[in-house]
Amino acid sequence: MSQDKKGGIRRRDFLKIIGVAGGTAAVTGGCSEPVEQLIPYVIPPEGIIPGVPNWYASTCRECPAGCGILVKNREGRAIKIEGNPKHPVNKGASCAQGQAMLQGLYNPDRTRSPLLLNDLGKRRPTGWENAQTLLAEKIDEIRKKGQNGRIVFLSDNVTGTLGALIDDWMEAIGGVHISYETYAYEPLREANKRTFGIDKIPTYNIDKAKYLLSFGADFMETWLSPTYYTTQFSDMHSFRDGSMGKFVHVEPRASLTGVNADEWVSITPGTEGLLALGIANVIVSEGLSQRGGELSGLLGGYAIDKVSEATGVSTDTIRQIAREFSSMQPSLAIGGGTAMTSTNATETLIAINILNYVAGNIGVTIDFGRTLNTDGISPFRDILSLVDSMSDGGVDLLMVYNVNPVFTLPKSAGFEDAISRVPFVVSFSSFMDETTEKAHLIMPDNTTIESWGDFIPSAGIHGLIQPAMTPVFNTKSTGDVILAVTANIEDLKEKYKEASYYDYLRESWKTAYSSQAGLSFDSFWNKALENGGYYSDVQPVQVSLSGGLSGAALPEAEFSGDGDYFLIAYPSYKYYDGRGANKPWLQELPDALSTGVWDSWVEVHPDTASRLGVELGDYVVIESPQGSIETQVYPYPGIRPDTVAVMIGQGHTSYGRYAKDRGVNPVGILPLATDKLSGGFAWFTSKVKLTRTGKHAQFVQTQYTTHQHDRGIAQEVTLTEMQKGLPPVDHELPGFYPPKEYAKYRWGMAIDLQKCTGCGACITACYAENNIPFVGKELVAKRRDMAWIKIERYFEKSDNKAGFETRFLPMLCQHCGNAPCEPVCPVYATYHNPEGLNGMVYNRCVGTRYCSNNCSYSVRKFNWFQYKFPEPLDWQLNPDVTVRGVGVMEKCTFCVQRINYAKDQAKDKGRDVLDGEVQVACAQACGSDAIVFGNLKDPESKASRLSKNERGYKVLHTLNTQSSITYLKKVKWDKA
Amino acid sequence: MSQQTSLTYAKVNEDVIRMLDKPTVKWLALFVPTLGIVGFGLFCFLYQVYTGLGAAGYRHPVYWGVYITDFVFWVGIAHSGTLISAVLYLFRASFRLSIYRISEAMTVFAVLTAGLFPIIHLGRPWFFYWLFPYPNQRELWINFKSPLVWDVFAVSTYLTVSSVFFFVGMIPDIAAIRDRVTEKPRKIIYSILSLGWKGSNWEWLHYTRAYLFFAAFATPLVLSVHSVVSWDFAMANLPGWHTTIFAPYFVAGAIFSGLGMVITLTVPIRKIFSLEEYITLDNYDGLAKLVIVTSLIVGYAYGVEFFMAWYSSNPAEWGQFYYRATGEYALFYWIMIFCNVLIPIPLWFKSVRRNIKALFIISIFINIGMWFERFNIIVISLSRGFDPASWGIYKVSWVEMGITLGSFAWFFMFFLIFIKTLPAVSIAEMKEILPVPRKEANGHE
Repeated sequence: MSQDKKGGIRRRDFLKIIGVAGGTAAVTGGCSEPVEQLIPYVIPPEGIIPGVPNWYASTCRECPAGCGILVKNREGRAIKIEGNPKHPVNKGASCAQGQAMLQGLYNPDRTRSPLLLNDLGKRRPTGWENAQTLLAEKIDEIRKKGQNGRIVFLSDNVTGTLGALIDDWMEAIGGVHISYETYAYEPLREANKRTFGIDKIPTYNIDKAKYLLSFGADFMETWLSPTYYTTQFSDMHSFRDGSMGKFVHVEPRASLTGVNADEWVSITPGTEGLLALGIANVIVSEGLSQRGGELSGLLGGYAIDKVSEATGVSTDTIRQIAREFSSMQPSLAIGGGTAMTSTNATETLIAINILNYVAGNIGVTIDFGRTLNTDGISPFRDILSLVDSMSDGGVDLLMVYNVNPVFTLPKSAGFEDAISRVPFVVSFSSFMDETTEKAHLIMPDNTTIESWGDFIPSAGIHGLIQPAMTPVFNTKSTGDVILAVTANIEDLKEKYKEASYYDYLRESWKTAYSSQAGLSFDSFWNKALENGGYYSDVQPVQVSLSGGLSGAALPEAEFSGDGDYFLIAYPSYKYYDGRGANKPWLQELPDALSTGVWDSWVEVHPDTASRLGVELGDYVVIESPQGSIETQVYPYPGIRPDTVAVMIGQGHTSYGRYAKDRGVNPVGILPLATDKLSGGFAWFTSKVKLTRTGKHAQFVQTQYTTHQHDRGIAQEVTLTEMQKGLPPVDHELPGFYPPKEYAKYRWGMAIDLQKCTGCGACITACYAENNIPFVGKELVAKRRDMAWIKIERYFEKSDNKAGFETRFLPMLCQHCGNAPCEPVCPVYATYHNPEGLNGMVYNRCVGTRYCSNNCSYSVRKFNWFQYKFPEPLDWQLNPDVTVRGVGVMEKCTFCVQRINYAKDQAKDKGRDVLDGEVQVACAQACGSDAIVFGNLKDPESKASRLSKNERGYKVLHTLNTQSSITYLKKVKWDKA
Repeated sequence: MSQQTSLTYAKVNEDVIRMLDKPTVKWLALFVPTLGIVGFGLFCFLYQVYTGLGAAGYRHPVYWGVYITDFVFWVGIAHSGTLISAVLYLFRASFRLSIYRISEAMTVFAVLTAGLFPIIHLGRPWFFYWLFPYPNQRELWINFKSPLVWDVFAVSTYLTVSSVFFFVGMIPDIAAIRDRVTEKPRKIIYSILSLGWKGSNWEWLHYTRAYLFFAAFATPLVLSVHSVVSWDFAMANLPGWHTTIFAPYFVAGAIFSGLGMVITLTVPIRKIFSLEEYITLDNYDGLAKLVIVTSLIVGYAYGVEFFMAWYSSNPAEWGQFYYRATGEYALFYWIMIFCNVLIPIPLWFKSVRRNIKALFIISIFINIGMWFERFNIIVISLSRGFDPASWGIYKVSWVEMGITLGSFAWFFMFFLIFIKTLPAVSIAEMKEILPVPRKEANGHE
């Protein structure tokens, strides 16, 4: 070849080189992430259609409320939790804890296999066979000693089949089953026993009440069944037909429930009972009710002046409450919030029962038919005697299931020392919590989403738990472990015939319910699985006041400690008793009141703070005789100047990377005091000292302002104004361009501020649905949280008794018709779609962030980094939603994936999407039905009708953004 | 230029071309650290690309910060170059003569610096070219409604025009250098750059017309470019940004800061290269008067913004301005007022205008004040938008400071190369005002 002589390059070589070089460039792809292949199922598993989710009805076990859930499974992985609309407790709603259950399932710090502590003090993985044999041997060994009660099974209140199995098993092996609930509500039961002779906790019909008076019952947070009562409250308190119910909350601190009240009445700690009797006295003495005459002797001792002086509540307020309580019938008084449990808790609750009786509420708004299933809960004194017995060497084997007493009991109870003296401790916990740290053998249980089971939260509600996916790790359901261990014990081999706990559960249901509903067991079972359980009606039970009350006395609450401040340790609606702290979604969910995240703080009245010379973010030491904790100050106007409050749930010394060494645990410094009559643990008995440390750090919040600066963001009308009628407002301002036309759909929302309680379930639901990364405290400190929906919280000055009122406003992308973000994007990465959505094309975004600067609502979030989802948390990611990369903008999409899914489904049926077929994640989760999503083009859709409500307004409507979200003004009770 | 000058045609040639001699130790002592700082700036940028834009101090809702401040600052610096060379040329203001070359160079380098920042500040800087309208098979197009697209055009037009203008003005001078240098490589480079200039009458005839034309062409750009930059803000609806005064306000500010930078740059050059006879006190006097004018316009704008905010009785607007003067950033606001409104007041006195030291100090303050003006407009407005729940404070990170420092070094690096390679004072135009040299030998007087 002639070219060769010339040197240089031949045509073929050139092509080869170009081919290889180009190919290499294409494969390595410059700076891009490596290409991931989507591999189709070669042999598709039965029942799985790629892209189509399977839903499994089950029961939530994050708290004792036992709500029904639906678990969404996509291609074998659980990716979303939603409330089960058929379930009588939560009726489709959910809370942040329930939504975050998935981060328990996929928690990277879960115990991945059985672990055995070896002689060197190290935990080593072991096989299930080995672990079961070992436990069986231990049991055998102890049984051979011939003493009963040396084996203790410590669990939470496991109702239903597993509870029965544990009882049965303990009996067989000579052990004791103790049920420990952190929040056991013993005073409530004791008070009912003494007042009505019925040792139960009734169902309160808040929805039927016109007037609700709560004495520290935090029913929107943790009290009994928060989602249930939130939905009821929303019903009772919503503005309809010119009227609405009134809610007055009495507590030394305005809790999340308290700030949702129409009036928050601040009261001297421990005097709620006095106030209740004082109100009852006014009702009886002024003849406001026909009832209660027989109690006039008892009530006569509670003259209004005396009560007013002791409680710090003005006589006017007492009279007003008395009149409203008796006239706005039916009314309801509730009490017994954990944080308010003093040494006189039972007497206080008896007083509240008397008040309800006097007003005629028993049997009307209080239903002793559907009672809570609390019978199994062991009294607190049993826990204390267990501690004693463990310390004295009376326990040879302790099995711990679903409880973490080392963390949830005060240090002064001595559980931690006592458990160290137990020769062999088995933990069934799937997480390395403080109690499990003490265990010799860990046999990790499946989480709710991976196991079979049932749960009976209250009479007539039999919730079923079914696995929605195969276990993530080498864990095993405790029911199965019990069966297997029993089979390993020589003389008990034949005790259980069932091969698995599933069979045992089925058998047990067969025995218990096969007579029900007149179906064959198989169809009954399948129906129960589909419905999430079996629900039966319960007949109301009439109760009457027992005779011995007239002599009842109300002792003063006893507080110990020589400090100046009452310490409220309040249960958290996010972490409950601390169990939620290992879930990053909950850690990153801003507290409704302080908007703090990932940490603890102490709420201090602003006057107290200035007296102490501290301000937001300063550290103080809170000192009780039992110990001290150091945390940051949050000045909060909703607390008495003589009281401070710390949330329970943080301050873990173990429990995984997200919970460990974060915040403080106020329970640790509580004295071991009990309610005198019931013997239940009294949470509110400590007086503490506060000392300034001089240390300061940024208090990490998501909102640094407390009022609206006249911006009219969260608006309000008074009831009088509503009854007079509001002048009609035209939301559409004239524009320069002709109005946009939408063909079939314009997606929009109506948000009723009267209903929003600020609970944050919507936020967590949004994180779960839309693959929103959690970023951690350090980045939230720089305001780089990625939440697409936030709850704005304002404390506005008010003429009410508290001097301020709280307004919550869920803020998310308004999907403006005339969006400020759209024209400024240089590359059309954000644009208006034909259905009114403000679309966001992640691939096209170059990250100028101009859209966010120009967003009047500041709802756009930017990916400052490539955020990570530590394995296996990434298993939870919704395959329908892009995981955003570094350098692009993102924001609420109105769950466009759900809209598209619904449109596809409708198209298959040859029709348009019907109202209610698309439920965005936030609206779906909302327990109070504050968020309603729908098609605004359809005049009949719920969202469309609500948008035309006279209370409707658009946030910042003078900017003429033509937002597709209409907010409905909060309605304020005025003197009308 | 004073009449008593001792300058001659030959001396001008000599003095100007002397500046292009081999780099001295002094020059290297400046240049090497400058390169080092540029390197550090580059490192900061690469670090930011590697970790993500979170390396900068941005936080919700302040999504623009130091980078855009730097961008506007440098575009502003770029302005007086064209003003001095083109506008004053058209007005035949003779005091521009000695300094216009330096200010033109400043313009080009400042635009080169400014142009980096819109890329640096992108979330995905590797896709910066998506802001240009280029044909592609995906049929993706840019959004001409977006002021950022206008920016792309404004800045690139400005870079093109100012570079051409800069280059065309230098042709006769480069030819003069070409004729003087002896080393082969330099001779070749200058020969190419001089485009075969011979200095014939015919060439001069066309050249002067062309130069006039370019001057006329560049003049509107002085107004338009910074107006467009100001619309980046004024087109948004944010309180503090959304105001019609922004275009004239920004243009005046740009000229103000540009004049400041001209003084800052020429004073040391004049000293180092002993150009006292070229850059005279009369020149500075003229510049200082312009400084007073622009300072007054800027000061008026500050006042009017406040008045309008108050007069509108719009809570968001008034809240923004009240916050500027009293909030967390109040220090920056008052630095701006101090530097831009109060500091130039002594310039009303002729003695100050003709005092080089005083001028130099004032010009430094102006540079600082104008940087903070842009920072205040951008950051304080963003910190307090419409919705109080989103308010937040921005804190600058070390990466941003590094890149800002690097940008100054980058600008000075070009400048240092420029004074060693190209004529920093216009030889041809200087000669126009000198007495024509006469032949004395034959005595035909």
